[in-house]
Formats: sequence, structure tokens, C-alpha cells
Amino acid sequence: MKSRIVVAAAVPLILGLLAACGGGASGVSTSSANDAQGPITIWYSNNAQEVAWGEQMVASWNKLHPSEKVSGQQIPAAASSEEVIGAAITAGSEPCLIYNTAPAAVPTFEQQGGLVSLSSFPGGAAYIESRTGPGASVYKSPDGQYYQMPWKSNPVMIFYNKKIFAKAGISTTNPPLSTYTEFLATAKKLVSSKAAQYAIYPDPSSDFFQSWYDFYPMYAAETGGTELVENGKSTFNSTAGDAVAAFWQQLYAENLAGKESYTNDPFASGAAAMAIVGPWAIDSYQGKVDWGVVPVPTTAGSHGDQVPTFSDAKNIAMYASCKNRGTAWDFLKYSTSTAEDGKLLSMTGQMPMRQGIQQLYAPYFKANPAYTEFAAEAAHVIEVPNVPNSIQDWQVFRDAWSKSVIFGQQSPDAALTGAATAINKLVAATTP
Amino acid sequence: MTSITAPRPKVPPLEGELRPGARPSRRQWLTRAAFGRNPIGMIFGAPYALFIALLFAYPLSLAVWISFHSYFFAAPGVSVPRPFVGWANYTAVLTDPAVRQSFVNIGIFLVINVPLTVMLSLLLATALNAAIPFRTFFRTSYYVPYVTASVATIGVFLFILSPSGIFNHVLGPLAPVPSWLVNQNWAMPSVAIYVTWKGLGFFILLYLAALQNVPDELYEAAKVDGASWWHRLRAVTIPGVRQVTTLVSLLAIITGANLFTEPYLLTAGGGPDGKSASPVWLIYESGIEQNHPDFASALGVLLVILVLLISAGVWLLQRRQA
Amino acid sequence: MTLTAGAAEVGAPVTAASDDVPTIEPRAPRLWWRLVLLIFGAVVFLFPFYYMIVGSLQKTANTTLSGIVPQPGNITLHNYGQINAALSLGRAIINSGIFTGGVLLGTLVLGILAGYALAQLRFRGRGLLFGFMLLMLMVPFQLLIIPLYVIIVRNYGLGNSYLGMIAPFAINSTAVFIFRQYFLQVPQELFDAARIDGANELRVLTRIALPLVRPAVLTAMLLTFIGPWNEFLWPLLITKQQNLEPLAVALGNYISTSSGVATNPYGAIMAGSFVLALPAVALFVIFQRYFQTVNIGSAVKG
Repeated sequence: MKSRIVVAAAVPLILGLLAACGGGASGVSTSSANDAQGPITIWYSNNAQEVAWGEQMVASWNKLHPSEKVSGQQIPAAASSEEVIGAAITAGSEPCLIYNTAPAAVPTFEQQGGLVSLSSFPGGAAYIESRTGPGASVYKSPDGQYYQMPWKSNPVMIFYNKKIFAKAGISTTNPPLSTYTEFLATAKKLVSSKAAQYAIYPDPSSDFFQSWYDFYPMYAAETGGTELVENGKSTFNSTAGDAVAAFWQQLYAENLAGKESYTNDPFASGAAAMAIVGPWAIDSYQGKVDWGVVPVPTTAGSHGDQVPTFSDAKNIAMYASCKNRGTAWDFLKYSTSTAEDGKLLSMTGQMPMRQGIQQLYAPYFKANPAYTEFAAEAAHVIEVPNVPNSIQDWQVFRDAWSKSVIFGQQSPDAALTGAATAINKLVAATTP
Repeated sequence: MTSITAPRPKVPPLEGELRPGARPSRRQWLTRAAFGRNPIGMIFGAPYALFIALLFAYPLSLAVWISFHSYFFAAPGVSVPRPFVGWANYTAVLTDPAVRQSFVNIGIFLVINVPLTVMLSLLLATALNAAIPFRTFFRTSYYVPYVTASVATIGVFLFILSPSGIFNHVLGPLAPVPSWLVNQNWAMPSVAIYVTWKGLGFFILLYLAALQNVPDELYEAAKVDGASWWHRLRAVTIPGVRQVTTLVSLLAIITGANLFTEPYLLTAGGGPDGKSASPVWLIYESGIEQNHPDFASALGVLLVILVLLISAGVWLLQRRQA
Repeated sequence: MTLTAGAAEVGAPVTAASDDVPTIEPRAPRLWWRLVLLIFGAVVFLFPFYYMIVGSLQKTANTTLSGIVPQPGNITLHNYGQINAALSLGRAIINSGIFTGGVLLGTLVLGILAGYALAQLRFRGRGLLFGFMLLMLMVPFQLLIIPLYVIIVRNYGLGNSYLGMIAPFAINSTAVFIFRQYFLQVPQELFDAARIDGANELRVLTRIALPLVRPAVLTAMLLTFIGPWNEFLWPLLITKQQNLEPLAVALGNYISTSSGVATNPYGAIMAGSFVLALPAVALFVIFQRYFQTVNIGSAVKG
């Protein structure tokens, strides 16, 4: 009996030699594909308004170009879009363009050989830079080419519930939220006066991207625009990083922020007085919360809208299995034209990453003054660093953050130092 | 129990090669040597063999191969270097604190789940093994969680165990803060209790069948000797179902070691501070989310070896006791 | 799984499905403690399902003790509407059905052939096949997931298709094991008699052996059903389009990601859970008497 199992186990190991050659399918040859025209598929996000925008854009293109039909669909739902896209790249089944490419995932996709360089198209880099301006250069890959097109940003700011603030006796037109001290005092007052259960309630779960919504915006503000990793070295193991960590630690320790994951948005349901999020969330607050918005706090005090924050940008990328890249490039330009950017703004409230949107779309901002804050902030956003193993880097950071800041099991200084060392190693690794 | 034995047919004596015990002819002997007595078996078994080859042996060997190389998923047609790295992946796995934590988590899980499963299923099977009213109803009610999709029952458990859920309402001030599934000390035990609840039906079934094979005379003899029900349990029941206890333990261990869906959905992946991460969750996270299938495969191979060792250990233990 | 060949079980006779008559004493001893224990157990086991139904009908989530009983003012079918809008329940159930049906078909046809061959036929390679079957039972699916994904999607080109979903589960090895054990228990004389009469193996299988092991077939089918119906991880990986996702995956994704937008997120989740749970439970309740055949345990024991 046992010998049968041993033999059965040995056979696969022998087969292993044959199994070594995986992946027989051939890719698309670049030389001719850049010019090829024809039908393409695209994916956009699950956000209802983006879907609406996407559908009207696709419909108008299809009317103008009946021989180069675009079929669009929502990105398949999963825990994170990075998984879905990564898996599709491996299978060779991803679409030509994905209007939901996270900058943090671009290094991974690039390494997989899944992206098409937009700089390889005639006038590609120039088009990107003329639309976005000097801010586009952070989206270049280490080899100087653009593998993603900066598309739209959602500058992260502090939303506050005016009704709850009024109930707690705090000014709703000029709430004291610009320095750490002020913010903490306001938070305490909100909770102790029972106006709200929590002062602020970012999602405490340990997904790698959660730090973009509590640590990173404040780190950007505190340092005046430093990214997590610069020149191959972690930067957050510094006074500024420690200050941000200590701030959040205090919020968690005094139960001003909740430690449990939730299914219901606490700001929308009134359980939390504030939220730290970008304008894409506004739609879910309609009719539920009378909100105001201010920039994130800093130790010295953040006034006005010159305070840097996290961009929460989502970009467009072209993927390797695309056969009709000529059409894809034309469509990409079409979907990021001044007109379409305007429609994106008015239909979703998210900021196209185009220079001068406040002047270009002045009528919109006049009709929706609440969004001008975001437009102004959009000029001062930072991005996640374009470094190898980006997703793993952020996971390491998040795990250290969880352990020290949220659950108080370790001092934040020690945790951040440990994370910095680990991330430096990951960034320096040439093979994953 | 009726046994099905057809009445012996009247058969004329066989001749030549067909006679039982007759020496096979040279041609028959050659065929038998090459293909066995019933070569048609090869045809019957061929689809299954093909299935195993294409969908089990091949991926298994590929997994082992990946674990010895530096490997990440690339787009089709893109050639990337995949150098042989020897034991590097295994070293990385064994020195990773998250991996160690996940094995500790599974240890906690097994310590809670396996004894509870064995005891509760034996207890309930014993209770069921008698003429009681509504017997069918009881049996059915125990199997219901087992046949329901984990995703469905997890949905209701998330509701029950949520911070403001009914369980905490009942407990009042005794409710732990933070609540069960987000509490570092209670996350894995909560998962363990849930999995025990979910799987109990199947094990009750196994024990029921085994109990019905324990001869009544043993119980009678014990009763005559004046043994109490507890003594009867210890002296007759438990030894009588020993083989099934081994089976139940083995199945529970194998299921526990390969836990994925329950921690993934109940505690959102790795849980609070990684305290409910299972090794398979780590395989998923490193292999699929972070595109390090080399690390993931090494972890997977180690997990399989561990499971095989434990299974062999339990089986040997049972052999020796028998 | 214990690894002994079921030598002791070969002699055990096979019973018909309704022959569930274990040795019972005229009056159960200590009836009271049995009933108390069993009732308590039944409550613990069934309460979550009851709560699932109640919860799915609540307009706003009511997690207090009063929420156990449906409150007249708080009843609505809106949750079902919401989850249907989010997931398209009908489509998801059809996908689950196709996935499970495919696996059942594969196991029923090909698995029975294999089980019979392993039990009754002597052919070259039988030992090897049996060894592989045992190995397959012991190796966790999750180890194979990653290479399997690459192989099925790239080499076999079955990404995002029903066939790709079904493939790794096409023949359930536990079922094959069960078939083998049950075929082993059929008395040899029956087969010899049939063979002498000139029947070929296929005839022997379908006319003689199969009717005798029908309860085992039904049991194995029920067990095989549960696997793909509940399977979460593999279809999650292999489907990239929402209209191919089986209900388990669609609901799981909903729980992890988008439930927050519903009016009563828990209510919507529970509505989905109820729809997912119902077919399996209903099927089981209908066929539950086949689960009571006493010899299942002894066969699996081997």
C-alpha cells in the first residue's frame, strides 16, 4: 500500500522536468501592433457614475468609428482590482485599456510584461505631459517611459458632518481642525458630548491600500509632499512619520477612531463625525450628511488649499494582449480630451488630472462650489512611489501600522523602523 | 439486514481454458502479463487516469518545480528569467514570521476544533443511537449546516458575531472589546467554533454508523456488571469506535490545515494583526495578490508534507493501539 | 482517511436504502437526557438558519433580542431585491447549477467506471491508479491552485469558461473511493456468475453491480454535490466576468466589497445566503433517508 503511494508521488516529480516549460502561448508583436486598427475591449471601474460616463463615451466613439467598435464592461469584482488584472495578464485575457489602473500596481504589471509603453506611440509622452503638466513625471517608470496615463485624482481631505458638529457646539464654518492639537481636542469634544460615537473612522482592515487613507495623506501634508520611498530609501522613518503615527495612535487609544472593520460607511450612517476620503464618496453621502470639507491637519497648522495630500489617482494603461493598439491609442486620446474630461468631472465629481481645470470648467465649479476645494488640492497631490514590489511594500507598512498604531502592541517608532528596513530590502531586490 | 446472495445457478462443467484452475494458454498468459487479467479495466480507468495526469500530477509537479525557482507570473509570450534557486524559497518561508504565525494559528484552531469535534459528534451520535421521538428531525437538523455553503452560513455568523450583533447583546458587559472576529485573541477561536459547528453533521453520521456496529452484548455485559452509563461509554463505546475516531481526527486535521474560505470571509483575510491567517491564506496572498508564486508553492509543499506526516502519525498510532 | 485496505469490510453485506433498522432497545434508556441534549443541539444547529431568514426580512438590521422574532413593522422583501440587483441571483444560481451539474456528471459516469475498475478488475497499472487516488485525497487543493490556474488558463486555454471551472473537480476522488469500497463489498460470486454467462464487463457493471450499490451512488452524489456548490476559491480565480460567477463567489465578493452600499447590508447578505443555502438543504432533506444507510461508515472506514 505504502509503496503504491511512493510510486505515485515519484511520478509527478519525474514529470516535473517536462512541466518546466510553461506558457506556450505567444504574445503580440509590438512592431505592427502599434498601428493596427480594429475593435477593442476596455474595462472601467464598478463605480456607478464612472460606469455611466464610460458607457456614454463608448457609445459616442462607436457612432463615429463604426469599424473600430469599442466594447466596455465593468472590471470583474474581487477583493482588489490588482488581483483581477494581474490574473488576467497571466492568462492573456485582459482588455486593451483599463480605466482603473492603480499606480501602485503598475510596477508589478510592468514586470510581468503586461503593459504597453505609451511613450512608444508617436507623440505619446508629449500628449501626456501637455495634458497633465509637470506633475506627470512621477508617473514615469524607472526607464523613463510612460506605462500609464495619469487620468483622474481624488484628493483626500477631511469631511465633517455639519449637523454633528453643531450638536457638539463646534463651529461649522471654520472648524478647528488644522493642527494636531486642535484636531484632537475637537475629536474628544465630539465623542464626549455624545454627538457621535466616533470622531473619525477610517477602515482599520489590513489590506495593503488602507494606509493611503489614514497615514499617507497626513504624511504628505506634514512633509510638504514627500513620497513613502524616494531614491530607493524609505522616508517615513523620520520625525514627520513618527508624528503622524503618534497622532493616529492617540485617536485609537482614546477610542476616538474605531478598531473594528465595518460593512456600513460610518460617516454616511452618522456613527462617525468625520471621514478622511476623496470626492468620489460624495455620492454616497447625498441626502444623508450635510458635509463640509477641510484639508488634513499638520503639526504646524494647515490653512488654505496648498496643503499636499494623497492623490488616490486612478490611471489608464494599455495592456500587452491588445492587438489593435492603434485604435486603443486613438481611443485613449479621445477619452481624455478636454470635452470628455469635462464630462468626467460633471458626471463623477472626480478631478481629471489636467492642468487648469478650475478655469476650463469654471461653469461647473460655479454651480458646485463645494468641489472647488478639491480642484485646488488636485494641484498639490503626491502619488505612491513607482518602485519594485510596491504592493508588498505597502503590505509591510500596513502590517506594522496595524500592530503599533491601531492595536498598540508595539511602539510606532519601533514598528516604522522595522518596516523601513524591510521595505528598503524589497525595493532593492532586483528579482521579486 | 438482508444480504443479497443470488441462489447458485446450475452451471454445466466448464471446459478447457475457462475451467477455474485451468492453465491459461500461451496467448492468454502473455496478454495477462502485459495487461493484467481484465485489460478492459484500463479502458474503464483511463478517463480517471487522464484526469489525474492532466489536472493533478502535472500541476503538482509544476508546483514543486516553481518552488525551486525564482518565479513570477508573466504575460504570455514574455520571456523572463526563472533561475533555479535551490532552497532559497523554502528558507524564506521558514524564516517568515507571518508564516510561523499562521502555523501557530492553525495549531490553535486544531487544538480547539479536533477534540471538540470528536467529543461532540460522539456524544450526539450516542444520543441519537436509540429509539427516540423525532429521530429523523434531529438527524436532519444536524446535517443541515454541513450541506450548506460556507459562504451562506458565514453571512449569518458575521451578523451574529458583529460588534453590535445579537451575541454581544446577550452577553452585555461580558462581550470582549474589540469584538470577537476583530479581537486578536478571539479571532481564531471564533473561526474554530464556527468550523466545528459547520462540520459536525458529517462526523455524527460517521459515528452513528460505527455505533450501530458495536455489538449489544457488550453493553448488556457491562450493564450486568453494574457499570454506570459513563463507565459503559468509556469501556464499550469509545474503544468500539476507535477506528472511526481516527478517521474523524484525520479528516478534521486535514480540513483544518487547509482552511481558507472561513478565515478569508469571517476575518477578512489575515485577521487582526495576522492572528487568524491560515497558511493557505498566505499562499493565496503571496501567490495571487503579490505575484510571488515561488514563495507560495514552497509554502504549499511544506504544508502538504506536514499534513502527510500528521496523517501518517495518527494512522500509525491507531495501528499500534489496535 | 485510514489507509488499510478494507479487508474486514469485504464480507459486510450491502443493504437496501430503506433498510435502516439498527438494533434498538424497546425503550431508550435515559430518554430525558437524550432529548434535552438533542433539543439543545438542534437549536444550536438550526438557530443560525432561522436567524438567517428573519434577518433577510428585516428592513433595518435589528440585532437586539427582539430581532429574533420578526417584527411586524420591520418586514420587507427589499433585501432580496437589493441583492438581486447587485448580483443577479438567477444568473448566479444557473452558473452554480452548471458547475455542479458538470461535476456530478463527470463523477457519475467516469468515477463509477474508475471505482469499478479499481475494485473488481485486475489490470496493469491498477495499483498505481489507486495510489494516485489516495495521494489526491491527501494533497490539498490549495497547493495546486497556482499551477493549476496557469495550466488551465494558459496551456489548455480554458480561462473564464464553464469547462475551466469544472475541470479540476470533474471527477471527485472521494466518490471514486466510496464507489470502490462499495463495489468491493459485492459478493464475488455474482460477478463470476455473470461473466460465465458471457456478459461483458460493461454489462456486469450496469446490470449487476450498479443496482446493488445504489445507496452508495446516491450518497456519493450528495457528497459530490456539496463540493462544487459551495466552492469559493477556484471559481473566484477562474471567472473574470460577473455573469459567469457561481452564487458562492458572487455572494462572497459582495460580502467582502460592496455590501456597504445597501440599505441594510446584513439583510442583503442574508437574503443572498438564504438563496444559496436553500437548494442544498432542500435536496438534502428530500434525499436524507439515503444518508441513513448504516454501511456508509463501515465502507468509508476502510
